[in-house]
Amino acid sequence: MARMDRREFVRRSLHVAAVSSAVGSVPLLDLLSFPARAAESGGAKLAVRKGKDIPALIAETFGALGGIETFVKRGETVVVKPNIGWDRTVEQGANTHPLVVRAVIEHCLEAGAKDVRVFDRTCNDPRRCYVQSGIQEAVEGMKSERVRIEHMDRRAYRDLDIVNGKDLTRWSFYQPALDADRFINLPVAKHHGISTLTLGMKNIMGVIGGNRGRLHQNIAESLADINSVVHSTLTLVDATRILVANGPQGGRLEDVRVLDTLIASADIVAADAYAATLFGHRPEDIPTIVAGARRGLGSLDLSPGRMA
Amino acid sequence: MRFPALRHVRMACQLFCLLAFLWLFLQTEYRGSDTLRYPVSLLFRIDPLAALADALAPGAFGWRLLWPALLLLALTALFGRFFCGWICPLGTTLDGVGKLVGRGRISPRSAWRRIKYSLLLAMTAAALFGVQLFGLLDPLSIFLRSLTFSFNPAFNLVANTVFDFFYQHSVPLVSPLVNGSYDFFRDHLLAFHPPAYELALPTLAIFLGILLLERVERRFWCKNLCPLGALLGLCSRHSLVKRVPAKVCDDCRRCLSECRSGAVTETAHCRDECLLCFDCSGFCPANRVVFILGSRPTAAGRVDLTRRGLVTSLAAGALVAPVAGSAPNLWNRDPYLLRPPGSLAEAEFLRRCIRCGECMKVCIGGALHPALLQAGLSGFYTPLLMPRIGYCEFNCTLCGQVCPTGAIGLLNLAEKQKAVIGIAVFDTDRCLPFARGEECLVCEEHCPTGEKAIVFDEREVLVGTEMRRLKVPRLIKPRCVGCGICETRCPLEGASAIRVINEGESRRARDLWT
Repeated sequence: MARMDRREFVRRSLHVAAVSSAVGSVPLLDLLSFPARAAESGGAKLAVRKGKDIPALIAETFGALGGIETFVKRGETVVVKPNIGWDRTVEQGANTHPLVVRAVIEHCLEAGAKDVRVFDRTCNDPRRCYVQSGIQEAVEGMKSERVRIEHMDRRAYRDLDIVNGKDLTRWSFYQPALDADRFINLPVAKHHGISTLTLGMKNIMGVIGGNRGRLHQNIAESLADINSVVHSTLTLVDATRILVANGPQGGRLEDVRVLDTLIASADIVAADAYAATLFGHRPEDIPTIVAGARRGLGSLDLSPGRMA
Repeated sequence: MRFPALRHVRMACQLFCLLAFLWLFLQTEYRGSDTLRYPVSLLFRIDPLAALADALAPGAFGWRLLWPALLLLALTALFGRFFCGWICPLGTTLDGVGKLVGRGRISPRSAWRRIKYSLLLAMTAAALFGVQLFGLLDPLSIFLRSLTFSFNPAFNLVANTVFDFFYQHSVPLVSPLVNGSYDFFRDHLLAFHPPAYELALPTLAIFLGILLLERVERRFWCKNLCPLGALLGLCSRHSLVKRVPAKVCDDCRRCLSECRSGAVTETAHCRDECLLCFDCSGFCPANRVVFILGSRPTAAGRVDLTRRGLVTSLAAGALVAPVAGSAPNLWNRDPYLLRPPGSLAEAEFLRRCIRCGECMKVCIGGALHPALLQAGLSGFYTPLLMPRIGYCEFNCTLCGQVCPTGAIGLLNLAEKQKAVIGIAVFDTDRCLPFARGEECLVCEEHCPTGEKAIVFDEREVLVGTEMRRLKVPRLIKPRCVGCGICETRCPLEGASAIRVINEGESRRARDLWT
């Protein structure tokens, strides 16, 4: 074999580096947004159940929709996206209840999910939120190799075009949330200043990048825009505790109501619409829900025929 | 008993201490528990200069925090400057990398050794009269500041750049390797949030300057400038560790050129200069040198401060302090001068803060940054809260936990949540609902007090010819603690449309007349 001198070695190395960086920078797969799936979720059933025992309540709610197997198939990858946004305890009701998160994951595992990942882009310091919410402990306590709770990986955000975006035409999204076979949306129902309520559609803000405060300038349409990219296979609204004032961060027990209620549907708009009624609001009065329905993300029809 | 192996024991000890301090540095971060598990600011709790600053500040001496420093002084009085030779991380760094800078042409003069004593005396006098400058030249502060503000951020920046590159570009063989090692780096070596500080470059310049002085002679800083070395030197004048033979031997004279601290002279062994490195017991060709516990030294073995030098130094310090103190109050004029929660009133804060940078390292939100001139000339390197860069986390009490001198008080959570850093004020010329009739309320969303300090009113606002129903934010002063999350999160580009000013901060003495 011919010996390579230093000059030649440097030259060849530079060639390899140039080629590989050129290959890396070509967007081989410019992931376009998922199409809105109004057709398949428009008639989706809505399950509402009430009870003190959270694991039993989850089983009952999923059972009403035909079991988690309807949504998660054997060997699939699943993202479970609770709200872990705030440095608040379970009692303060600002985050999804850890027992809800845990029970949902258990059902996913029973259905044969290959890999379940839990994450949220928080508002307070992520480490504090994961600990204080009790969710990190609940998930790690499962000691399953198929389940991971992890902090957002700074490297994994991607800028994507939003086809038919009304307020946002391009935004940064968290790739692992888009890559999973199934995305289970686990919001907690709370009061919120600019959007009146924060529910399933707003919970998607936890898997986007960028300067999120920007969305507040047209919150209803912006949320419809990002929800047209991140499709929730199933939305389960945690209303075991709801925050009726000083949301979404809360902090006062006086603002928390214990409702022991869960709302689940493949239709994110329907789930949010029902949750709105728990606060005494009509769904038609919540601009985000109206925008979601108008944009084909689901239907705010709560007629008895839909209830499972 | 002879001590040939002591030199190696000393080097092992230096390395161990350096690694221990680096480990404590890495632990100076939130790791899942509200209270830090280790005494991460140990380096400053054993720092006699911090103790001296604290003792000269108004109010009681902080025994709870600083008793280890007094213990170190007592041990130094018995055994000499072992701290400089065996423990000091800056000294170890100079020993370790000093050779890299080579040797220049300037030959050192023995009179330079007095400089460190002059500095110490001048700073002591200044501290007594109200201006504390120890922190600027404390070698331990210099060391930790260099780590915190310069080296650690640069390390994180480089490492993250490399990890990002190989994550985004799939390079055969290399990418899997780099990506595979990411978890270990992330969990153990990299900071959770990439650190970024003001004054990164000036801090590096000071560190490199000290390193560059090694071109003149070994341990130039320790011999001639270090005020901590001077303090420990003064304490060790009557120490009990004695070198035999005391002075240089006529048949060899190697100690004259080889001694790293120049402690062996024609006439004596200077106990206030000897760093107890025990090199001489190793390189002595005749194996003559031993160290024993022995009697009092003679007067010949001391650096002569000279009466004139002593008086001049003290006078300089005593003059500088009142002149500096006579300047108009700065924090009354600069509304953006914010201090960490629990900080003492400004005058006392400046006198107790040793400028170590621990609070800025531990700050979970990256909110604390070193001051250049914002807090006045003597406030160089004191911590400022800069909410546009990061905010004070409502449930966090870490800065008070690490402060080695109590300049930032140790508050429990309930006290901390009531400690007022300042209040938020709207810039209505830029704030969207006020200025442009657009929705926003990001500040209201993030406001962390149980009953929000930022609330909103729904108003009918005429925008052009259109009547809009708009949610307009409003501040309720008694609820605001000035944490600054509103300023951090304000979505406007550039400066925030809501800013925290230091009006109403808890630490300020209230004027009952207003």
